[in-house]
Amino acid sequence: MTGPEILVQRLPNDIGGQGGPAIARTEHPLAAWEKRCHALADVLDFHKIINTEEKRHGVAALGTGINAALSYYERWILAFANILFQKGILTPAELAEKMQAVEARGAR
Amino acid sequence: MTSEVEHAAHDHASAIPHAHTHEDAAETPGYFEIMEISVRELLIERQLITEAEIHRQIDVLDSRTPALGAKIIARAWVDADFRGRLRADGRKTCEELGITFYDNTRLIVLENTEKVHNLVVCTLCSCYPRPILGLPPEWYKLKPYRARAVSEPRKVLAEFGTIIPDDVEVRVTDSTSILRFLVLPRRPPGTDHYTEEQLAGLVTRDAMIGVATIAAPISEQNP
Amino acid sequence: MEITEGAVLETLPGIVLATGESALYQTGDKVRVLTRKPIGHYRVPIYLRGKSGVVQSVIKPALDNEAEGFGRNAGRERHYYRITVSMAALWVGYAGAPGDALLIEVFETWLERI
Repeated sequence: MTGPEILVQRLPNDIGGQGGPAIARTEHPLAAWEKRCHALADVLDFHKIINTEEKRHGVAALGTGINAALSYYERWILAFANILFQKGILTPAELAEKMQAVEARGAR
Repeated sequence: MTSEVEHAAHDHASAIPHAHTHEDAAETPGYFEIMEISVRELLIERQLITEAEIHRQIDVLDSRTPALGAKIIARAWVDADFRGRLRADGRKTCEELGITFYDNTRLIVLENTEKVHNLVVCTLCSCYPRPILGLPPEWYKLKPYRARAVSEPRKVLAEFGTIIPDDVEVRVTDSTSILRFLVLPRRPPGTDHYTEEQLAGLVTRDAMIGVATIAAPISEQNP
Repeated sequence: MEITEGAVLETLPGIVLATGESALYQTGDKVRVLTRKPIGHYRVPIYLRGKSGVVQSVIKPALDNEAEGFGRNAGRERHYYRITVSMAALWVGYAGAPGDALLIEVFETWLERI
């Protein structure tokens, strides 16, 4: 498998056995928004708005570059946005407007 | 090594993180946090989910820490019947103790013995027994552990300070579907007179993932 | 023994089982993981494809998580199997003890009997 097919046949998250550097055992508590994001994921699964497997697929579908560059919950929220667009639940414009409004109001 | 579980239990007992807590108010939220706030608020406005559900789920997450797993392990050490039931049906037996599985996963308990050491990894994502251990540590979700634990488990274990003799089989479980896994570590020597509660205090999160074993308590070790 | 909620069912003569009701494999059976190469979504890591193992336990039927990945929340359920594969069979030059093994759950449609 040396052609471009490997780019689609191996998902970015399929890394078992690929080796790597030493394990950095740093631990830090989740930021408040990260915990909310986790709770959101669970609630979306409870309602099957986005089930757990759709979330996993949505994260993998972000591609290798984004998976490498973004943190765990950054990937999750981005995947949720994409899936909600695909399902016709939200539109990109609606989210963009809402994000502008949230940013403008400043505080959380 | 007792402090890990206790700290987790105490840390998670703190306030629920949601909008407008005073410590957050001063900071400007980052791009992805703004996205999280926006997606959540839009879904609430559409009445697809409620704010109460989110808060409730944060409480659910906060109520799950490695202290629960430690309780299960300690009970299994002192009660052979319980251990047998736990190995036969992990979820049902945890539910007996009053620990629920909010994510509807099932649980297999992997018992370490003189001849077998179990290690758990999720190479494809970050499957973890959240109902009984809480959210996984950062390293469990990151590439180095996921990429290496399946192919060089003994090296990985050594990095955690865990040396498994060659006459002990290392069994790596790659968690990929609806099952979750809890390692039942070996009870350390010199703890015969310990109460169940004292035993629970010895159990670490890492031992329940399988990257560590549980050493005899310092006071029991010969100088 | 690990949980074995799924099983090969014994039936009265004349009873026809629906697909997925009875497990195709039972504990101790030798199986091979298929070498298919799905795109889009899968839950069988590439390192496992084409490898042989032994069924350790039979897991009661559930949805195919590869289809769930696209929002299919209902459908025909099939068994999962937790299989044991020798580390030496998985990794060339595996540095460990000969008894070291990997255990992993695999959906029924990914396995063949050997």
